[in-house]
Parts: sequence; C-alpha cells; structure tokens
Amino acid sequence: MEWMGLGLLVMVAMGIVFTGLPALLVLLTVSVCGAAIGVASGTIPFALLSALPGRLINLFENDLLQALPLYVLMGVLLDRMPIADALYRAGLAILPRGPAAAPVSGMMLGALIGPMSGSVGASVLAMTRIVAPRLSASGIPAPTRFAVVAVASTLGVVIPPSLVLILLGDAMLSAHTMAVTASGRADRVINTQDVFHGALVPAAIMLVFCLLVAWRAGRNIQIESSSQQKTTLTGAQAILAGISVLSLVTLLGGIAAGQFYAVEAAAMGATVLLVTGIVFGHLRLKALDEILRDTMAVTGALFALLLAATTLTLVLRTFGTDRLIGNWITSIPGNDIVVMTVVLAAIGICAFVLDAFEIIFVVIPIVVPPLLVRVADARWVAVLILLTLQISFLLPPLGYALMMVRGNFKENISFSALARAFSPFLLAQWVVLAIVLCAPQLVHIGEKAADTSRTPLVPLSDQEINRRFEQMMPKLPEPD
Amino acid sequence: MLVYGMGPFQRLLQIIDSTAARAVWLAQWLALPIVALLFLQWPLRDLFKSFSREANDLGQVLFAVYITVAVTAATRAGTHLAADVIAKRYGRKTRRLLFRLGIAFGALPWALLILTAGAGIVIPSASGLERFPDTFNPGYFIIKLALWILAVLMLMQAALNLIRPDVKDSE
Repeated sequence: MEWMGLGLLVMVAMGIVFTGLPALLVLLTVSVCGAAIGVASGTIPFALLSALPGRLINLFENDLLQALPLYVLMGVLLDRMPIADALYRAGLAILPRGPAAAPVSGMMLGALIGPMSGSVGASVLAMTRIVAPRLSASGIPAPTRFAVVAVASTLGVVIPPSLVLILLGDAMLSAHTMAVTASGRADRVINTQDVFHGALVPAAIMLVFCLLVAWRAGRNIQIESSSQQKTTLTGAQAILAGISVLSLVTLLGGIAAGQFYAVEAAAMGATVLLVTGIVFGHLRLKALDEILRDTMAVTGALFALLLAATTLTLVLRTFGTDRLIGNWITSIPGNDIVVMTVVLAAIGICAFVLDAFEIIFVVIPIVVPPLLVRVADARWVAVLILLTLQISFLLPPLGYALMMVRGNFKENISFSALARAFSPFLLAQWVVLAIVLCAPQLVHIGEKAADTSRTPLVPLSDQEINRRFEQMMPKLPEPD
Repeated sequence: MLVYGMGPFQRLLQIIDSTAARAVWLAQWLALPIVALLFLQWPLRDLFKSFSREANDLGQVLFAVYITVAVTAATRAGTHLAADVIAKRYGRKTRRLLFRLGIAFGALPWALLILTAGAGIVIPSASGLERFPDTFNPGYFIIKLALWILAVLMLMQAALNLIRPDVKDSE
C-alpha cells in the first residue's frame, strides 16, 4: 500500500489546482479519505490514528513556531507604518539619478523589509503599496514593475531571519535528527541558526545579482524626463530609515553572533515597531484592533496548513510511503550533487502546484530524512532547498508572490511580456542555485570544524538504516 | 454579524456564530502579551538571570490558546491559502458545493477525530491540572486543553459553513 500514499499526494496537488479550495481543506479531506481507506482495508489499525493528537500538541509546544505570529505582526505593522516609504525614498536619495534608480531602490527595499516582515505576503503588500505606484510614476513599464515587485518581495526568503527560513530550519532539525539516528553518524543536528549562517553568503550573491538585473532592466528603459516624478526625502524620513536599517543590522548581527534566538529577535522587532507606532500616533485602539485581527487571520492560515500537513504526513507514514520514497532516494546513482539535483528537481516540480509553505510542511518531512542519510551535509541541503523555495514563490500557476502581485496589479499584462521581464531574474536565481550546488563550501564559511559531518566508523547497511527509520515511525498504541 | 430568521435553529446558529466571533476577537489580543513575554526572555535570561523560564512557559500557554483560535479566525476571514487560477471560472453554485464537500469530508471528521482521539490526553491532563514537566510551573494542561478548543471551534465553524445560507465563494 506504499503506492497509496503517492496517490494521496497526487490527489492533494490535483485538489489544490482544480477545486480552488483552501489547501487546508484539501489536505484534511485527502488525509481523512486516505485514513478511511487504510482502516477499511485493514492496512492502518485505527488505533494508530490516535498518535495524531500528540503530534498536534507537539506543534503547540514548539518554541520556534512562536515566531509565526511575531513575524506576521511585524509584516502587518510595516504595512501600516511609513517605514517602507522612508526606506524607498532614502534608497532613491543615495542612488545616482537615472531610470535605473527606481527599480534598484525597489529591490533594495525588498531586501530590507523582507527579513523584518518575515513573510512574502507581507512584503508583497508593502511593495505593491509603496514601490509599484512610484515605479509607475517614474515611467517604468508594467511588466518590469510586476517583475521588480514580485522578485523583491521574495528576497526576504533567503535573507535571514525570514519566516520561511525559520520554518525550514525547524523541518530540517526534525529531518536531520532522524537521518543522524538512522545513519549512525556523529553529527551535531542542524538548527535554525545553522541555516541562517549557511544562507548568508548565497543570499548576498543573490542580492547582488538581483540588483544588477534591476539596474540593467531600468537602464534599458527610455524614459522622458517629464515623466520622472521627483521623490523627496524629508529629515524625519531619513531618521526613520536610518533607525530601521540600524535595527535590521542589530537584529541580523545579534542572531549571527548568537546573542539571541530568532524568536527573540522577532519579538524585539515586533516590540520596537509596536512602541514606535504608539509613540508616533500611528497605532490608536481601532488601528491596533485591525492589525491584531489581520495578524491572527494570517497566522491561523499558516498554522492550519501545518496542522493539516502533520495529519497527512502521519497517514503517508502509516501507508509506508516515506519508506518507498526513501528507497528511491537511496538508490539514485551518482554523487551528492547528482542526488541533490534530482531531489531539487522533484521539489521544483512540486513547486508548480504547491506553495513554499506546503512544500515545507508536506514534502520536506518525507523527502529530506532519507536525503540526509545519503547526503551528509545538512547545511548545504537546507540552503539549496531554501533557494529552490524562493524560486517556487515565482513559478506559475501557484507561485505565491506571483499570485499576490497579480491580484494587486490592475493591469492586464500578456504572458510573453511577463516572461521577458521575469526571465533575467529567474536566470539569476538559477545561476545562484547552480553556484551553491557546485560549491558547497559557500554555506560553510565561518563554520566550526566540530560542526561538520562525520561518517560512522562502521558503515551501516541499507537494511540497518531502514530498521532505524522504522523505529522512529509513530508507535502503534498497545491494545487494551 | 449575520442576521438569521427568528426560528430556534437559526437562533442557535446565530449564537454559535457570535460565540466564535467573540472568541476570535478576545484571542487576538493575546498577541500583545505573547510579544512582550518572548521579548522579555532575552533580558530576563541574560541580564536578570531569573524568571526567563516562567516567561517562556507562560508564553507557551498563551501561544497554544492563540494559535488554536487563530485557525478559526483564518476560516472566518477567508485567509487560508488557496489557488483559484482554474476554479475562478467555476460558477458560484459549484464552488459552494465544493466548499461544503471539503467541510463535510475534511474539516468535520478531522475535528471529530481530534475530539475523540484526544480525550485520552486532554482529560487526564486537565483533571490533574498538569504542570510543565521541566519547570513544574502550573498551566501545562492548558496547552493540551487547547487541542479541544481547536476541535470545538472548528466544529462550530464547520457547522456554520455547512448550514448557513450565505457562504461567500472566497471562503
């Protein structure tokens, strides 16, 4: 019945694309149907499903997941306060005048507010509200505006600390724990801080590439000087922009130096924004009520996805689908780069129909544990997946950033015009992915030697690895 | 606020709706103490060297309650992630039917499963007022009780979405 689980995964993808239902309902319906078929056919003992409440309670207790509402709150606060506007104007003020200044400043804004807002959705809202009208006023054509806003909104994914990065860090921790136990290696299990550190250099390369592409896209546009709107920077906006950049550097530096955890950094960011909003009069009771309502609604959507994905993963494991996928991964011929390429291609295919959050919650827990048995460098694997997820935000039809920007843009833009505007950015993303794939040392800069992977003294057989994976599967409750 | 007719069944629906709305509104304010408690952890741990575990435990309890209500908040606000590239071409009736099928065969049985299968965990913990295993601080049972809060709220919202006449397509 291992194949049954694969059928369920296909049903999830089809359900999400063809029904238009919330992914939560699709995942729950497929899980319930799968469990019912499993119980009816005698494949799944009903008692095994009683493991589900315990798994859900584990999610409530997860320290890292406490960052979810904090990041969402920061994103909503940034959207309501004039910080993004001040940062954009400051960017324009420091850049040389010309048609390229507006898209480059927009890209810089995405890089700055992405890690602060933490979520792509919040970045898209801020970028669409702040940058898109100004790019339009500067005479930048619609396809380029669309591409700049969408790509800039995803920069926060790879620039730590972002929500996607935190959630991936948590998924990697669980996957690596299973892989280390199963393979008998003496590795220190990867955590979110490791993923942060590993992503820093690739994120910097990605940022430089995106800025170059934005500059080139802007430089090639012929704009009449009369259509260029003059954007001024007031003293108050300059101070606000300075404080924001300083806060971001403190946040990043504190995490990189290990002074505080990602959740604490998010709490600090949210506290600073809340206090600033109250002090400057942006947060009256009514506004706060709306902000907290929006925060809860978005947080609930993300957490609901996690609950549903946990249910589906349990059902897939009871069918043994994870073992089937694990066997496939361990039997891929070739070295680590070949294995990673195959798995990233599979994740990339999933990204056509699943959102990055769905991939983290549904696909990663099944695919990554056996992958990490095969490929020992967990930090490298995490960063490559992170880069793939960033690309997935821009892939049609379900690329989250793409969908959100399309929803917010009023213009009808032809697919060919969009493809022309997007292709240099997507090419830049693929180039960074290829660089990191071929140069794993990029994610290990500054890493302690003790933290690198160590192979076991006696290599384990495939049977032994499978046996250890079996031991980590949900236990069948004892019959009464 | 939805307006229903005067029948007892409609009145019951209205009570369920207003109860869920009130729970969501009250729980949204928990975000503020959660932010404060998580922010305080760093100075309490590194500067004052005390009470950081207590702040962490209280933060966990509030987070568990907040997050369980947030799922229903997302359903009511229609913020669940969905891709309607193809489905936006469907008629209103088709979309409503699909939505109700999703509720009937997904959310409803799932919530019932959580309610029944979770009894063995929730009831002993709540009746014994279970404490945090590491710190022995009180309130750990609330985290387990949150599982039932989640299931009950989902059941209430599922019943509303199945029965009430004016379900929006966006939901």
